[in-house]
Amino acid sequence: MNAPQNDAAIKQSLFEKHQKIYPREVHGKFAQLRILSVISLLGLFYALPWIPWDGRQSVLFDLPARKFYVFGLTFWPQDFLLLTFLLMLAALSLFFFTTLAGRLWCGYACPQTVWTEIFMWMERMVEGDRIKAMRLDQSPMSFKKFRIKATKHAIWIIFSLHTGVTFIGYFTPMSELTSKIMTLELGPWATFWMFFYGFATYGNAGFMREQVCKYMCPYARFQSAMFDSDTMIVSYDKERGEPRGQRRFGDEEKRKGLGDCVNCTMCVQVCPTGIDIRDGLQYECIGCSACVDVCNDVMKKVGYDPGLISYTTQNLLDGKPTKIIRPRVIVYACILLGLISSFIYTVATRTPLELDVIRDRNQLYRETRGLIENVYTLKIINMDDEAHSYDLSVSGIRDIRMQLEQEDIIVKSGKVLDVPVRLLVEEDALTKRSTEVVFSLFAKDNQKLAEVERAKFIGPLP
Amino acid sequence: MKKLVDDISPIPEPYQFISILWLSFLMAGVATGVFFSAIDPMELEACVDFPEVGRMGAYSVGFLLFWLLTASSSLLSCYFLLPRKRKTSGDDTTVNQT
Repeated sequence: MNAPQNDAAIKQSLFEKHQKIYPREVHGKFAQLRILSVISLLGLFYALPWIPWDGRQSVLFDLPARKFYVFGLTFWPQDFLLLTFLLMLAALSLFFFTTLAGRLWCGYACPQTVWTEIFMWMERMVEGDRIKAMRLDQSPMSFKKFRIKATKHAIWIIFSLHTGVTFIGYFTPMSELTSKIMTLELGPWATFWMFFYGFATYGNAGFMREQVCKYMCPYARFQSAMFDSDTMIVSYDKERGEPRGQRRFGDEEKRKGLGDCVNCTMCVQVCPTGIDIRDGLQYECIGCSACVDVCNDVMKKVGYDPGLISYTTQNLLDGKPTKIIRPRVIVYACILLGLISSFIYTVATRTPLELDVIRDRNQLYRETRGLIENVYTLKIINMDDEAHSYDLSVSGIRDIRMQLEQEDIIVKSGKVLDVPVRLLVEEDALTKRSTEVVFSLFAKDNQKLAEVERAKFIGPLP
Repeated sequence: MKKLVDDISPIPEPYQFISILWLSFLMAGVATGVFFSAIDPMELEACVDFPEVGRMGAYSVGFLLFWLLTASSSLLSCYFLLPRKRKTSGDDTTVNQT
C-alpha cells in the first residue's frame, strides 16, 4: 500500500462509525503473563488501602490533612520535588522499556488494558464466547437478551462502584470510609469523585476499550519515536506466510505455491484493537501478543513450526543480528540508574525537618555600641509526626552572639514556625564585608533530627 | 458548539472531543497538583471572603476551575486552527492560510 492510499485509509477509518470489537479468548504463554499481571496489579490496587501499617493505612494520600503516607514514610507538601522526581523516573522507565521491548506497558500494565481484561472476563462469564456474544448482539430484543445484558451491566456497575470506593480509599481512611458509606454520611466531594471514578471505569473498560488507546492516549502517539530496528515488536513473517490460503490438512498437492499462513483469521479475531497484524506494524497494535499465542496454536494443529507471528525485532525478521545493548539503551539505562539511586538516597537521608534562613531585607547591618548586628528570620518546618522542641546554635565568627525573642523553639507536627534572630559580633572579628555563618538546629529529644543552613553575615567595609 | 465542531471537519470527531476536554483534563490535574502543594487552601480561605468548603472542596473546585481554564484554551486553539473560508463566486472553496 503506498502512502497516499494509506493516508486515505486512515482518514476513512477515522470517519467510520465505531464497530464493536469482539476479541476471541486466547490461551498461551503471553496470555498467561497478562493474566498474572492483571491479577497482581488489580490485587495490589484493591488490597493496599486495607493493609495497615504502624497503626494506620499503609498507603494513604490524606489530602484533607495535607500528608501522604507511604508505608513507613510521611510526605508533606514541602516534599513536592520528590514527587516530580518520581514522575520523571516513571517517564524514563517507560522510555527504557519501550526501547527494549516495545509496548510492554500497553500490553500488560496499563490500567486501561488491565481493567478492560477484567471487564471482558466478566462479559464472557455472562454472555459466553465470541460467537455467542455476536449472536446475542444481532438478535432482536427478547426477555432472554434483556436478562443477559442486565446481568452483565449490573455486575459491571457493582464492580465499577467498588473501584470508585477503593479509589476514594486512597484519599480517605478506608475504615472511616466504609462506615460513612454504610450510614450514608459520605461528604459531597468524596461522593462526587467516587461516582466520577466509578463511571470512568465503567465507560473506559466496558465501552471505550481500544478507542482509548487509539484516540485518547498520549503515549500511543509518541511511543514509536522510541522504536528502532532492535526493538521487540509483534510481527508477521511475510516471507514465510505469503501467499496465504486455506488448504485441506495433509493435502500437499493443494498446498503447492502457498505460504504457511492458512488464512484462518484467528489473529484478527483475538486482536483487542481489531487489526490484522499481517498488514504490518500498525500504531493500533498494543503489543499484547494475543495473535502470537493463537497463531502458534494453529501452527501446532496444522503441523507447521510455530513463530509465523512472533514477538521479535525488525532486524531478526530481516535476517540481521539483533543487538540488545546499543547506545540508546545504554543512555536510557544510565540516566535511569542515576535517577533511581539519587531518589533512593534523597528519601533515605531525608530528615523530617527543614530550615530556611531569610535575611532581613530592610537593612544590611546595624552598629550598636561597637557591635555589628544582622537580623534574620528562620523558617522551621517540622515534617515529623509529632511536635519537637529544638536547640538552635550559630557558628562561623569569633564570639558570635545570638538573640532570640522567644525562649523555646517548639514546632508542632506539620507546622512552619517563623523565628526572628539577631546575630551580634565584635567589629574587629570581621575581616571581610561578607562572612559565612552556619545555623544548626536539632531536636532536643532526637539528635538525628538535625538541619544545618548557611547564611551571610554582612558588616561594614574593613 | 455543534457548528464549531462541524467546522473542524479535518479533525475527526473523536479527536475533537479529546483534543479539547481530555487533554485539558490531564493538564488541569497537573496544575491542581502544583498549585495546591504550594498553597494550602485553608490559608487562602483565611485571607479571602469565600464560602467555607473545606480542603477537599477547595481541591475539587480548584480542579474544576483549572479544567475550565485549560479546556477553554484548548477550545480556542482548535477554533484558531480552523481553515479560513473564502467564498468565491458560486463555490465555497476552503483555503488554508498559513
